[in-house]
Amino acid sequence: MEEGQEDETLERASLETAEKKEEGEEELRSLLLPDMKDVPPTPPSAVESNFVRYFAADFMKPGHDQFVYRHANGLCVIGLAPTHVALREKGGVTAVDYNVGKSDRSEMKVTGKRKRNAQHFESNSALCKVCANDTFYIGRCCVKGSLLEVNDRLIKQPDLLNSSADREGYIAIIMPKPADWLKIKDSLLSHEDYRKLRSL
Amino acid sequence: MEETREILSRTALSLPSPHVVLDLLSVGVCPRCIFRLFGVHGQAYCCSAITASVLQSFLEEQKSCDNGTVENRLVSDGLVRCSYTSQESEDDHAYCCICLGVLQLACQQDRKMLTTSKEGSIDDFTATIAELVKRENHHIDGFSIEVSIPPVIVANERAVWMYMKKKYNCEDWFKDKIPSQHISVKDALRLSINTSLENHLGVKSGVDLFRIRLNYSHLDASRMLQSSLANNHTCKRQKTDKKDNRDSLDDSHKSNLKNSNEHLCSESDSVILRTLESMLDHAFCEHFVIPPEKALKPCLLTTTCYRMPIYIGGRYLKFSRRVSQSCWIIDDERMGEASVEEIVGSNALLVCKGDNYKFHAAGREDIDVRMLGSGRPFLVEVSNAHCMPSMIDVQLIAEKINNSDKKYVRVRNLKLVNNQAWTLMREGEAEKQKQYAALVWTSRALTEEDLHSISSRKDLDIIQRTPIRVLHRRSPLERKKIIHWMNIERIAGSCQYFLLHLCTQAGTYIKEFVHGDLGRTHPRFL
Repeated sequence: MEEGQEDETLERASLETAEKKEEGEEELRSLLLPDMKDVPPTPPSAVESNFVRYFAADFMKPGHDQFVYRHANGLCVIGLAPTHVALREKGGVTAVDYNVGKSDRSEMKVTGKRKRNAQHFESNSALCKVCANDTFYIGRCCVKGSLLEVNDRLIKQPDLLNSSADREGYIAIIMPKPADWLKIKDSLLSHEDYRKLRSL
Repeated sequence: MEETREILSRTALSLPSPHVVLDLLSVGVCPRCIFRLFGVHGQAYCCSAITASVLQSFLEEQKSCDNGTVENRLVSDGLVRCSYTSQESEDDHAYCCICLGVLQLACQQDRKMLTTSKEGSIDDFTATIAELVKRENHHIDGFSIEVSIPPVIVANERAVWMYMKKKYNCEDWFKDKIPSQHISVKDALRLSINTSLENHLGVKSGVDLFRIRLNYSHLDASRMLQSSLANNHTCKRQKTDKKDNRDSLDDSHKSNLKNSNEHLCSESDSVILRTLESMLDHAFCEHFVIPPEKALKPCLLTTTCYRMPIYIGGRYLKFSRRVSQSCWIIDDERMGEASVEEIVGSNALLVCKGDNYKFHAAGREDIDVRMLGSGRPFLVEVSNAHCMPSMIDVQLIAEKINNSDKKYVRVRNLKLVNNQAWTLMREGEAEKQKQYAALVWTSRALTEEDLHSISSRKDLDIIQRTPIRVLHRRSPLERKKIIHWMNIERIAGSCQYFLLHLCTQAGTYIKEFVHGDLGRTHPRFL
């Protein structure tokens, strides 16, 4: 008699767990599915959300427009802005070379949390040579700081500059000191001002 | 009286002849040290009545008996009524030359003498300890005694053995008594005070998280030890230097000596003990006083009590995108509205009445990422909990967290765990596969083909360079990761928004896998 009762209790217990499980799953689903009213039709891109976009127009030479995407952690992604003359050449960009005479920028190896072996550059230091329509254009740092990384994918896939110069076609990542950033910040254009300047 | 005699009689069986023990008493060794040197066990330690004078009288009686008796050393009935004459020893204010007062329970506490008489009562001693436990509001079910004594006591004991060796080497009994039979000062102290302390505290002693720490120190004696060791070190150096044919009066050599002496002054206890152990008998006898001098001041005792850390574990869920996992404050400014660490930790600390807490989780998520489903395993380590939480107390902690008006965090399966859970958590962090759900938007409309091609990919290998958002504080590396499976769940009313369910290897950066991190994660989703 007692055994029978025990079985019932056990069964109930297992039923309860299954029910609870279903409840839990329902709750999870409702949490995961967003309320479509709260969701924008076109959300900002990852770059827009994570970086503040600055631009250097006619940097050292007319038509040499570059971008500086600054992350909240201080790191700056450098690249050619969409209005850079190199990107308007016939046939587009055909080659990228990080060997700029003084050294091959793609050869440095930065290691560790403290970023040792990182070379320090001025804002006008050359980073790479971009070849388009048999003409060479120099991509520069724009920001004074330590060079953390160059986009070596550009060496094998220079076409990235033609398809997405403002994203996967970035040139390098630089880490400026806070003081150096403050000095240069005001000489750069905001995204809005850049668009106005170039009538975009 | 009778009891004392009985105890002494039984004890005497382990001791050598009375003349030896009397000699040790006159040299300045206290009764408890004598007992433990010869491996005595039992009640002899907690009998407060056994003072140096009582022991002395008993032994002198035995000695005169021995001179008459033929075979054994048992006291015969006829002498029960002998009266004791307590002979005041010359140095009334000196303490045991080995334990420096530790086993005599006569020690300095906070610059006040615990007791004016040379031998303190066990009861008074343990009463003071019990008072401390009560004063600090500890709720205990048991206790464990930790004792720390200065290394000079080890040197003193060896000096006494050397003394005995010199004097009694030829005697038969000496060959039987090996130093290894002895009981340590720490154990002897425990034997002396355990029962009395149990009575005062109302709980048993044993392996327990609640520790009573008796920390003894003796500055003068320790300094003397340092200089003896320094002299030994100097002698050794001089001997090796002579071998090198160097002029020992050389200026540089003198400064070397000075440096090495200062160096020895700051040695830790374990180093000192090792040095003592490695010293050969003849070297020891050269640099140490044999037998050791009597101490004019006893040890300084610092008593502390605390509970070893306890662990409360469970799983947490995080419902807010503005709450970080761990307390995040930069330049006195709090980032985010709250932290899981503080919500869970502060509630646990309150109920356990602890001093401090540490929060450990098996992995982590960003502040803007929710933690749902079964939850993430975590441990809260509470140090010096004054109240050991019961199952109900732990439930109370969970309720406080789950019923708070700000529905940031919830906990599940909260319970008291032991240290083992710690290793399991660390393992879980690295080995397990993790499951995620991401709300994704694409610029082109989703097709059925997309759904199929995504769900058909199993164990996809990806390479992730250190994401830019953490590159400032992590090493630039390339990490290989595996995406075990992916599923797209359509959302009603949209062809560009959808839910991506995925299961990946631990340590995968999900956001970067979806947007590609400017090509630094490859391949990326879609």
